[in-house]
Amino acid sequence: MEIRPILSALMRSKVSMILIGLQVALTLAIVCNALFIIGQRLDLMKRPSGMNEADTFSISSIGFGQGFDVQSAISADLNLLRSLPGVAAATTTNAFPLSNSGWSSGLSLAPGQRTSTANTAFYFVDESGVSAYGAELVAGRDFKAEEIGFRTPNDEAMPRVAIMTRALAKQMFPDVADPVGQTFYFGGDDESEPATVIGIIDRLQAPWVSASMVENTLLLPSVLSGGSSSTYLVRAEPGRRDEVMKEVEDKLATANRSRILRGLRSTEERRSQVYAEDRAMTIILGSVIVALLGITALGIVGMASFWVAQRTRQIGTRRALGATRGDILRYFQTENFIITTVGLIAGGILAYAFSLWLMDRYQAPRLPWHYVPIGFVCLWALGQLAVLGPALRASRVPPAVATRSV
Amino acid sequence: MFAYYLQLGLRSLRRNPILTALMVLGIALGIGASMTTLTVFYLMGSDPIPWKSSKLHYVQLDNWSPDEGAGSDGRPPDQVTYRDAVALMTAGKADRQAAMYKISLPVQPENPDVKPFMALGRATYSDFFAMFEPPFAYGQPWGRDQDAQHARVIVLSHDTNETLFGGVDSVGKTVRMDGVDYTVVGVLAKWELRIKYYDLTNGAFNNPEEFFLPFTTAIETKRRSTGNNSCWRSPGAGWEAYLDSDCVWIQMWVELDSPARVEEYMAYLNSYVEEQKKLGRFPRPLNNRLPDVKQWMADQEVVSRDVEVQVGLAFAFLVVCLINTIGLLLAKFTRRAGEIGLRRALGASRRQVFMQFLIESGVVGLSGGLIGLVLTGLGLVAVRSLYRQYANVTHLDWAMVMTTIALAILAAILAGLYPTWRACRVQPAAQLKM
Amino acid sequence: MLKMNHLQKVYRTHLIETHALRDFSIHVRAGEFVAVTGPSGSGKTTFLNIAGLLEEFTGGEYWLDGVDVRGLDDNARSKLRNEKIGFIFQSFNLIPDLNLFDNVDVPLRYRGFPAAERKHRIEESLSRVGLASRIKHYPSELSGGQQQRVAIARALAGSPRLLMADEPTGNLDSLMARGVMELLEEINRQGTTIVMVTHDPELAARAQRNVHVMDGQVTDLGDEVSLRRQKAAHPDHAAAV
Repeated sequence: MEIRPILSALMRSKVSMILIGLQVALTLAIVCNALFIIGQRLDLMKRPSGMNEADTFSISSIGFGQGFDVQSAISADLNLLRSLPGVAAATTTNAFPLSNSGWSSGLSLAPGQRTSTANTAFYFVDESGVSAYGAELVAGRDFKAEEIGFRTPNDEAMPRVAIMTRALAKQMFPDVADPVGQTFYFGGDDESEPATVIGIIDRLQAPWVSASMVENTLLLPSVLSGGSSSTYLVRAEPGRRDEVMKEVEDKLATANRSRILRGLRSTEERRSQVYAEDRAMTIILGSVIVALLGITALGIVGMASFWVAQRTRQIGTRRALGATRGDILRYFQTENFIITTVGLIAGGILAYAFSLWLMDRYQAPRLPWHYVPIGFVCLWALGQLAVLGPALRASRVPPAVATRSV
Repeated sequence: MFAYYLQLGLRSLRRNPILTALMVLGIALGIGASMTTLTVFYLMGSDPIPWKSSKLHYVQLDNWSPDEGAGSDGRPPDQVTYRDAVALMTAGKADRQAAMYKISLPVQPENPDVKPFMALGRATYSDFFAMFEPPFAYGQPWGRDQDAQHARVIVLSHDTNETLFGGVDSVGKTVRMDGVDYTVVGVLAKWELRIKYYDLTNGAFNNPEEFFLPFTTAIETKRRSTGNNSCWRSPGAGWEAYLDSDCVWIQMWVELDSPARVEEYMAYLNSYVEEQKKLGRFPRPLNNRLPDVKQWMADQEVVSRDVEVQVGLAFAFLVVCLINTIGLLLAKFTRRAGEIGLRRALGASRRQVFMQFLIESGVVGLSGGLIGLVLTGLGLVAVRSLYRQYANVTHLDWAMVMTTIALAILAAILAGLYPTWRACRVQPAAQLKM
Repeated sequence: MLKMNHLQKVYRTHLIETHALRDFSIHVRAGEFVAVTGPSGSGKTTFLNIAGLLEEFTGGEYWLDGVDVRGLDDNARSKLRNEKIGFIFQSFNLIPDLNLFDNVDVPLRYRGFPAAERKHRIEESLSRVGLASRIKHYPSELSGGQQQRVAIARALAGSPRLLMADEPTGNLDSLMARGVMELLEEINRQGTTIVMVTHDPELAARAQRNVHVMDGQVTDLGDEVSLRRQKAAHPDHAAAV
C-alpha cells in the first residue's frame, strides 16, 4: 500500500527505526548461525552406531590378587553369561562404539609401507562378536571358534583373519568390488605377515564419535585381556535388557569373589553420555534462540505501543480524514514490515559475516544459503505477530480524538 | 540531590509497571545469559596456580614418525616415552621434575565391611607434591630416596582415607592394592582443582586422584597406564619392549625458577634429543617445547570451542537486550517531554535533568542486575546439569557477583545515555501550553 | 446538505448519564456558511463530532447530503467522511513527519485516486492556499497560519461538499486569523458549504447564519432577520452575500 509516505515518515524518526532494525538484524544473524550449529549437532547425534543399541550393555571385571587367572575367568564368565535366560549373545571385547576409548592403528596394503592406507579401530572379539554387537554381516563369513586366541597388550603377533566395516573396506580397497579375500598388513613393519578379510559388516562405529575415521572398524578374533581385567558385551533378547543387566551383575559377582565388577552400562546410556556436550549445546543454543526471539518480539511490542501512544492524535486525524480501521491497521503492519525488512537485509549480511568468522576461527562449515531466507520469513512473521496488538489498539483510536483540544 | 533523583526514578518506574518490567527483564535476561557463559569461560580459562604457573613447564619432545607429525600444525606428541621420561628424571637438570602417569588399581580393604573397589591413582615422583602443592592433612610426601628404592609407599586422598580409615590419621598403616601392601606416608586434605592442569591429556575436568604412589614402584610392578597411550609404530612384544618403545604415555613436568633456567633447560632438551638422534631415534626435525601452565592449557583447548561460541552468542544476546532497553527508555523519556520542559522552566539545569534520568536508567540497571544475578545462578545450575564434568567451573564467586552487578548497571547507563541526552535537549518552554 | 432531527447523544459512565445533546435539530442548506456558537460545555464539539461522523449518536436522525447516516457501519462512515467532508481543526492536526505534499495526500490516498490525479489535486489545492512553493517543506518549518492553510488545502483537495471547521483560528494571532477567515469566505463563495464551530462571537458574526447552542439544545436557529441585522453591522461584507 502506501509505502513511500510511511518510509518518508520513518526517515524522520531514524533512531527508533535503527534500534528495531538493529535488533532484528542481530537476531537474524544469531538465529541463523545458532540453528545451523544445532542442525549439525543433531545430524551428528542421529548417526547410527551400527550396533543394536536397544538391547546391548557391557560390564567389566577386574580381578585382583596373585592367584587370579584371567583366561579361565573369562571362559567361565562367558559360559555363565551364555547360559543365562534372556541373553541372546555375549562376547568379550576391548571397546565399543560411543565409548570414546579404545585402540586404533593404521593398516597398510604392503609390508614396509611408509604411511598407512587407513586408520581403524580394533575390536578384539570371539566368535560371538558380530552377533553380540548386533552388526549386520553383508559379505563373507563370521569368525569360527577355532580362530579365537588369547592375547595380552604385550603380545605383538596379530590375528591372520579379520572382519571389517564396509567403510573401511572402501577406503582400503577402493577399486575392489568384493573385498572378501583381500589381504592387508598391520602397520608398516617390514616383517609383518598379511591378514585376510573374511567378512564385511555393514556398519559398526569406532569408539571416537568425533574422529574422522569413526566408520572404520576392524573386528579381530582374539580374547584381549588387559592384565587381570576383561570386558563383556551382552545382547539381551528384545525388551529384556534391564532385567538381564541386573541378573548378569548378580551372577558374575557371586561366581568369582576376587574381582571388582564395574562399568555396567547400557549402550543407550553410553550414547546419551557420549553426546552429552552436543545435546547441551543444542539446548543452550535453543534457549538463546527462544530468548532472543522473545526479547525482539517484546521490543517490537514496546516500540510499536509507544509509537501508537505518541501518534494517537495523528491516527485520529487520519480516521477523521477517511481512513478506515483497516487502513490504520495496515499502516502499522506496513511500517513494521518495512523496518523488519531493512533489519533483515542488514541481518542477512551479518549472518554471513558471523558464519565467515566461525569458519575462520573454528573451521566451521559455511552457513548454507537457505538458512537466511527461512530466517527472513520467520522474523517477518514474528514482527507481524508482535505488531498486531499495538496495531489493533491503534485501529481502535476513535476519530473524535482529532477534535479533542490538546 | 542523589536521594531525590533516586526517589524520582523509583516513582517513575512504578508509574509504567509493564514498560519497567520489560526493561528490567530485558537487562536481566541479557545479563543472566552472558554472565552464566562468562563464569564458565572465566573459571575454565583462569590460572589454576597463579603464584607459580609461569615456573611450571610441560615437556614435549617430538619422537614421532618421520612420515607424519603427531598433531595438527606440527605439534609434537602431548606425552613422552618411558625412556625419555626416565632419562630426564635421572639427569635432574630442572629445579624440580616429575614424570607421571595415570593408573587404576583394585583396592582390597582390610575392613570386611568395605567392598573391594577400583581406585584411580597417579604414579609420580616425590617432586610432584612440591610442584603442584596439594594440601596435606597428615604426614608428608615420600622422599627422593624412596623414589630410588621403588618403595611401597602411598599418599591417600582425603576421600580415600575417609573410606578406608574413617578419616583418622592413617600414616604408617598399610593399604593392600592388587595383592601388594603399601605403607601410607601422607594423607591429603580436600584438594579442589577447577582444572586438573597437570594431566590435561586424560580429562581437564576430572577430579584429582584417589591415591599417589612412586612412579618407580608402579613400573616395577608392571602397571600399565590407564590413560592415553599412542604409538607410531608397533612397540614389539613384552613389557620390556614396551618400556623401550616409542609409545608415549607419560606426562613430564619440570619446575624452572627463572626465564634463564627455562632457556638452559631448553638447551639441555635439545642436546638430549641430538644425542638420541645419533642412536637412531627422533627421526623428525628438532621440535621440543616447554609450554608453561597457561600456554599448555591454551594449546590443549581447555576452554572448549562450544564454550567460546556460547560466550560470543550470549554477549550478542546482551547487545540485543541493550538495544531493546535503549528503545524502551527512549519511548519512556520521550513521553515525559512535558515533565522535562516543566522542570527546565522551573530552573533545573540541563545537567540536573541529565543526572535525574541517568539515575533512573541506573535503577533499571541495578534491578536488572539483581534479577540477572538470580538468573545467572539458575543458568549455572542448568549448565551443571547439562555438562556434568563442569561441576568445578560452574560456581559464582564474589568477583563474578560484583562483575555481574557492575556490568548490569554499566549496561543500563550505557543504554540510558542516548535517551537521556535526547531528553535533555527538550527546550524549557516548548512543551508548556501558554 | 446537513439535516438533524431530534438528535440525542448520551454519554454513559457507570454511574452518570450525561446528555450532551438533547432534541437537537438543525438544517444547513447547500452553499451556506453557518457558525455554531455557544459557551464551553454547551455541546458544540459533540455536535461537530456527530455532524462530521466522528462519533455516533444515540437517538434521532441525521441526513448528510441526502444519506441517512443512522446505522452505517464504521467503514461506510469512513468512506462517507472521506468523500463528503473536509475537516479543519483548531490545532491543525498536520502530520509532523510528512511534508506538505504528503500531508495533503493523506485523504486522497484513502479515496483511492490514481497517482496522477492525486498529484494534480495536491498541487492545485496547495496553490489555492498560496503555498505551492513550499510543497517539500515540513509542517514545523511553517508558521501557524501557514499550517492552517495547509490543513485547509488538505480539506479541499478531495472536493468535499461540506467543510467542517473547529475553531479554525483558535490557535492563531489576529492577523493570521483574518487571513484564514478570508480564505474560508472565498471557499464558501465558490460553492462549498461550511459549518464552523466557534465560541468567538466576532468570528461567528462573519458567517451567514449563527446557530446558538446551550445545554445541548439549539436555542437560536438564526433567521433571515438576524442575518440581515448582522450584515448591516458589517456593511463592508454585504457584497459577499
